[in-house]
Amino acid sequence: MDRDKKEADVFEAIEGLTPVDPHALADFQRAMNDEVIPEIVKVVEERRMLAAESRHWQLKC
Amino acid sequence: MYAWIPLSASADLAQLEAHVSPEYGPVRVAKKLAGGMSNAVKGVLVERNYVDKDYRSTYYHFYAKKGQHYRADCVRLHFFDETVTFDENALKLTCRDGPDYLSDHYFGYMVLRPTGIATIGRSVVSPDVRSGASRYIITAKHKVHLLGYKLMVQGFPSMDQHIDISVCAHAACWSILRHYSERYNVYREFLTHDITLMAHQFDPGGLIPSKGLEVSHAERVFQEAGTFPVHVTRDTKRASDPSFYRQLSAYVESGFPLFAAMHKHGHAVAVVGFEWRTPANSALPGMRYAWDEVQALAVVDDNHLPYLPVPVRGGTPYSGEDIDAFIVALPEKVFYPADAVDRLAPTLFKLGSVVGLPPQDETIIRYFITTGSALRNFVRERESELDPKLLATIMTLPFAQFVWVVEFATEAQWAVGQVAARAVIDATASLREVMPLWLMHSSTQALVFNRLTVSLDLQTGIRGLQLSDMGHGGFTRMEKNLRPTQTK
Repeated sequence: MDRDKKEADVFEAIEGLTPVDPHALADFQRAMNDEVIPEIVKVVEERRMLAAESRHWQLKC
Repeated sequence: MYAWIPLSASADLAQLEAHVSPEYGPVRVAKKLAGGMSNAVKGVLVERNYVDKDYRSTYYHFYAKKGQHYRADCVRLHFFDETVTFDENALKLTCRDGPDYLSDHYFGYMVLRPTGIATIGRSVVSPDVRSGASRYIITAKHKVHLLGYKLMVQGFPSMDQHIDISVCAHAACWSILRHYSERYNVYREFLTHDITLMAHQFDPGGLIPSKGLEVSHAERVFQEAGTFPVHVTRDTKRASDPSFYRQLSAYVESGFPLFAAMHKHGHAVAVVGFEWRTPANSALPGMRYAWDEVQALAVVDDNHLPYLPVPVRGGTPYSGEDIDAFIVALPEKVFYPADAVDRLAPTLFKLGSVVGLPPQDETIIRYFITTGSALRNFVRERESELDPKLLATIMTLPFAQFVWVVEFATEAQWAVGQVAARAVIDATASLREVMPLWLMHSSTQALVFNRLTVSLDLQTGIRGLQLSDMGHGGFTRMEKNLRPTQTK
């Protein structure tokens, strides 16, 4: 099965699907590109640094 | 070999001293049980000369090497309700409902080690008979062979630390991995001594493990066990880090017990459940998260009986908010971290006009990981709640094995265990994906995402689906990973 056929199959197999106006998704797309994804990348890196510090904590109670 | 202790009150547990020799610590154990077990336990069967594989693993590698003579065998205590009696001559358990129903009246077991101190070994006790146990607990079914009967108990494993060869962090790792080996057949069983070895690159020998573990050693234990540990640490430089606790509760709600570290106490526990606060009409403005509705965590702490309820704040000896790092032992294919879901979830309100979400500042957000098949099973069991087109969509979408589910509920829906809308996020998505979604739906609209191509085209890769309102106040909240405690 080629890629185009697979893509079509998913939507063809579901009844009642209708196209969505891309403008309705634009605000979400802009927020993801401009704010959320950069923030996610930053926070994941920050967590990695914090985890590196806590790896040496002693646990012995 | 066997003795029966009938209990009419918890004080009767003091009889344990007459049946069990002092090296098993019966006085301390009886006191601990009397303080933490409910009165539903009406009989204790004492099984002597029990060969416990976990104790034996430490006996062969440590206790047998000592000058002082330690016994090789353990004592095992079994807990039953009032319908069960024991015939000491026939060595037979009798149950009012018949022998096939013994498991329905069995509350689990506790192994006692002959070590003089910290004698409580491998135990699986039902949360139903633990005084004050939280409402939701991660459990697995554990088989128990006793007197030719095959019994079953649902609970989470626990044990005291040995003190001389293992510490709290070993006990927490052991509990979590024993749960995994019972719950998921992909993981093998690891004994206490295995855990002490797995923590280090080489066998440190002697008493070195009792000097304590570092958090990194616990991470190594989970890696060695074949899991993919994710290590999350609270940002203590900020006044607060609510995202850390939201992620903690999300993983627990996903059914993953957490190895939790408290730096200021130098202590580690396994977080295995939680209790919601009583729903109330708070009329508080602003979006909230499931963590804001958690009243207490349930932990397995090697200094206490299991399922210790720990208030989120203001608790003694510690609180949920004293946890400042945790390790979650994930399966391989969870690439999209909770940090990303935590940022993505409120952004989904920007799709609210298309899908139909409740107002953002009146919504409680809850997110967790599940499998695509568990999601399908959940909606199949509640198919009358879903427009058949939505049901068909969930059955048709080619989910990866794991998905993040985000649920959106109003305060009124939250109080009755319902949600207004759901988003299904691909747990294998990469951090930089703009649309890491499979599906988002309310009761009237759905957005369906085609993930069979890497570059999603907004024109062709997303479709809308008009749904018929099925006439209910909300979909049932998806709670499948934790067992509701049935207090006895």
